[in-house]
Amino acid sequence: MSMLELSQVSKVYGQGAAEVHALREVSLAVDPGVMVAVMGPSGSGKSTLLTIAGSLEEASSGQVLVAGQDLAAMSRNDKARLRRRSIGYVFQDFNLLPGLTAAENVALPLELDGIGARKAQQAGLRALTDLGLADRASNYPDQLSGGERQRVAIARAVVGDRQLLLADEPSGALDSANGDAVMRVIRTACKRGVAAVVVTHDAQLASWADRVVFIRDGRIIDQTVPAPGPESLLGQDR
Amino acid sequence: MTTLTRPRAGTGNGGVPARRAVMRWGWRLFRREWRQQLLVFCLLTVAVAATVWGASAVTNAQLADPNYPTLGTAAAGVTLPGTDPDLAADIATISGRYGPADVIENQDIATGTTQPVQLRSESPRGHYTAPLLGLVSGTYPAGPGQAALTSQVAALYDAHVGGTWRAAGTTWRVTGIAQDPSNLADEFALVAPGQVTHPSKVTVLLGSAAAQQALNSGGATLPGVPTGVLFGPNINAGGPSPAVAIILVEVLGLAFVGLVSVASFSVLAQRRLRALGMLSAIGATERGLRLVLIINGLAVGLAGALAGAALGLSAWFAYAPALQQSTGHVIDAANLPWWAFAIAVVLAVVTSVLASRRPAKTMAAVPVVTALSGRPAPPKAVHRSAVPGVVVFALGLAALAYSGGLAAVGGSGDGPGSGGGPRTLHTLLLLGGLVAAIIGIILLAPLAISVLAAGAGPRLPVAIRIALRDLVRYRARSGATLAATTFAVFLAMGICLVASIRFDNPLDWFGPNLSSSQLIFPTGASPAPGEMEQLSNAQLTRLSGQLNTLAVSLHAQFVPLESPAILYQSDTQTHSPQNFTGTVYIATPRLLAAYGIKASQIAPGTDILTMRPGLTGVPRLEMIWTPPTACNDDDPTCGDGSQPGAAGGPPCTLSNDCLASPVIQTVPGLPGGTSAPNTVITEYAVSKYHMRAQLMGWLIQAPAPLTATQLNAARQVALAYQVVVETGSSSPGLRDFADGATALGILIALGVLAMSVGLIRSETARDLRTLTATGASGTTRRTITAATAAALGLLGAIVGMAGAVVAVLAWGHSSLSDMFNDVLLTDVLILLIGLPLAAAAGGWLLAGREPKVIARQPLD
Repeated sequence: MSMLELSQVSKVYGQGAAEVHALREVSLAVDPGVMVAVMGPSGSGKSTLLTIAGSLEEASSGQVLVAGQDLAAMSRNDKARLRRRSIGYVFQDFNLLPGLTAAENVALPLELDGIGARKAQQAGLRALTDLGLADRASNYPDQLSGGERQRVAIARAVVGDRQLLLADEPSGALDSANGDAVMRVIRTACKRGVAAVVVTHDAQLASWADRVVFIRDGRIIDQTVPAPGPESLLGQDR
Repeated sequence: MTTLTRPRAGTGNGGVPARRAVMRWGWRLFRREWRQQLLVFCLLTVAVAATVWGASAVTNAQLADPNYPTLGTAAAGVTLPGTDPDLAADIATISGRYGPADVIENQDIATGTTQPVQLRSESPRGHYTAPLLGLVSGTYPAGPGQAALTSQVAALYDAHVGGTWRAAGTTWRVTGIAQDPSNLADEFALVAPGQVTHPSKVTVLLGSAAAQQALNSGGATLPGVPTGVLFGPNINAGGPSPAVAIILVEVLGLAFVGLVSVASFSVLAQRRLRALGMLSAIGATERGLRLVLIINGLAVGLAGALAGAALGLSAWFAYAPALQQSTGHVIDAANLPWWAFAIAVVLAVVTSVLASRRPAKTMAAVPVVTALSGRPAPPKAVHRSAVPGVVVFALGLAALAYSGGLAAVGGSGDGPGSGGGPRTLHTLLLLGGLVAAIIGIILLAPLAISVLAAGAGPRLPVAIRIALRDLVRYRARSGATLAATTFAVFLAMGICLVASIRFDNPLDWFGPNLSSSQLIFPTGASPAPGEMEQLSNAQLTRLSGQLNTLAVSLHAQFVPLESPAILYQSDTQTHSPQNFTGTVYIATPRLLAAYGIKASQIAPGTDILTMRPGLTGVPRLEMIWTPPTACNDDDPTCGDGSQPGAAGGPPCTLSNDCLASPVIQTVPGLPGGTSAPNTVITEYAVSKYHMRAQLMGWLIQAPAPLTATQLNAARQVALAYQVVVETGSSSPGLRDFADGATALGILIALGVLAMSVGLIRSETARDLRTLTATGASGTTRRTITAATAAALGLLGAIVGMAGAVVAVLAWGHSSLSDMFNDVLLTDVLILLIGLPLAAAAGGWLLAGREPKVIARQPLD
């Protein structure tokens, strides 16, 4: 069973003359342990695809299944629970909560899911240790560098037994070294069985993926398995 | 990578751990962003502090039992004259039959001053004397030759504990300083029981059922003791605590604080929108999102309430000594209405939590993606119905209209609100109507924001246009601010108008009694409070001479005041005459000369001269001059239904010594005080109708305000004749009321605007950054903020004033011209023009700083 399955998904914003088709009958399936990169120009619908897959937005039509569950049939609270337990989200601008330490930020989804603070923070600390941030666990977000913040965000996205990792330009605010490090972390998560969808502009980073999906004007125009190294992708990004 | 065996929560919403996590974050945010919450914190602190201080003050301002000064804890008392030949036997009889009894013997002693001092024998360990006796220092007298003095007596004789004091032919050793805790003005020297040899008065306090029964039977004396005068409590104790009124005022104040808090929390929620979106993205439920802001409200409420309680208590302990001095009884600063404090604190916390609920709900409903973008949801064209506001306001007006107006709140006592049941109903209608009118105006005020859209035309400068359109677009905040501003103006204008109506009643004249340069001496002596005796002719002659001398020393006019008649308005419907308040004196040449009024100014045929505006227009005014000798205190019909014009009385004709519709001329030169000769009868009328005048007193009109020394000299003269000289009281006049209300309204409104305009502008901070990026200068930013504040101030002033006018019209049943007759134009202008101008100036001065950051996120 695919971890994520989009069938004929469309998304329309606005009405009448202001109507914008962000996605047009997009179908995509991501199996456990597979990392899919989504590439495309600005405004092509990449982020919309990710937010719909992550249950942050509803599709105008089509079906979205996450771990076999139809999002359309779920209430807001059910979706929230799904996000806590199955979906990890990573944003370009980190989106760590101020006022919470790195460990507390990572542990937050677990605590929100009813796990005791001590256990949750132990799990958060382990996740941070895996990402080499154990010594920064008690630091607040504004005391961390950009790369560290994104790694904390990834730790928060994968903590627990999440099966789907959605990353929207996870390295967009990072230098290339940190960008590679972030992709390496996501790749490692996939090896553990996590399905990942990564939106990126960077062909080199997309080369970390098992499959690259090209999207333009809301439509998937191509899918390919990247050759080792990013150079092979440059000709595809039209 | 980390894996975790997840214990599935049963509820699916995370249960306690989730709530704890969200609460922890809410608490941390509160600590990090406390500056943004200072406004709400300060308002709550002030509200609770004022309640704690006020409740403490009103609770302690009155004695636990108002009868303490006369009875102590006894149920009844008997006073026996010192001249009673069987004094000892009578005391023994009373003690035996009605005991247990406490005997207090008083002997007047000459001090060489006008201060009355008594030698008093009283047991400090009596059955009922605990509230009457307290020891400041030293010990109570225990035997012959010992005395404890009050501090005033000790100061008078320069006596001190351990020294001696000579009085009543005896040298006393001073053992201590004593006081009457219920009456600190009571000056006495306490001696041991039985040490007063020649008492001038003996009081026996009783608490037995037999004594109470004798009192309840209505007898003036106790059976078997004909010389003793029986007395009991004369002031009803009990009733609701005055602190209840303070709590009610707090509720009103907190309603106002709540409005501001909603705006403040809304902006706070807006600032945290992305963070809340993030929280939602990682799986927080809507309930969890709401909890973040509600925890914030709870934290602010608790902090404000506790800080307010601490501040209020500190203020109370600092103020208690001053209150003790002004009330004249011992204040126990630790006697505090804790229940009122608890209510105040709970109300403050509840207000804050309730104020945070709506923004919390709104923010929790924002779609996650929208929240994550950090952009507020585009304002929707919400059609808010005016119906609820109109209905509530109309109900308020109806209740006010039927509340009986000024008469029902004690204006004249003859109004429709007189009497027990109706008065309670009218009071309830008045309070209910007022609350409904306020709620209605608060509901309606935000709708007025719409008119700004019409005003924001393309011809306006761009900064003003932006400000006005933003107010319309983001009316959640601007509406709440406008409602609070409107509320402040409504109150201020309402007070001005009610004061105007109250001060404008030419019959029931209201205001300060005298100016500070006037004195009035009556011709009746007042040997004790409530008692009145007419001075003899010889005494009157001597007093008149002394007052003349006093007036000369003060370079003042000395005017005998004679009154020949009374005025009233007959009521053809109820047949109950409405009295004319104040005494109508004769316009003697001396009186007119004292106020620079020449005989040529008086129109021929005028009966009455007055400075009261509107008196000439009062219908059915009648003047009677029944000779005072025909009316004595024993005549139950005197001044009642037998007088002309009254129900059942004869018609008002000259043959009945009554003149209907006397000729009245308004003379502004007469003094305006309620006790001053503001309305006088001409000598022409006195002569024409053969009125008999009676000397009522003397007026001393000084050229300048009298000094404390001059007032003291006047009091010394009055004391010598046991008369009570009337001096200018500190009662506020119309101007004081109107200016005070206007200043209060302006301050509250400006406070609201100062604290919330910044919040409103912060909602559009992104636009401000865009403006800055496109080259807008500080002037543009200042103009936007100034225009925002000015628009809200102007709109609030207009709506608040309109609402107040309509509400007071309904309540007072008066015409617009009557209502605005005495309203000071300056107060209206200050509210209508000054408020927006001051708001604009404040906005201009406080705004203009360039946004520090381009990044907008409160996330990292």
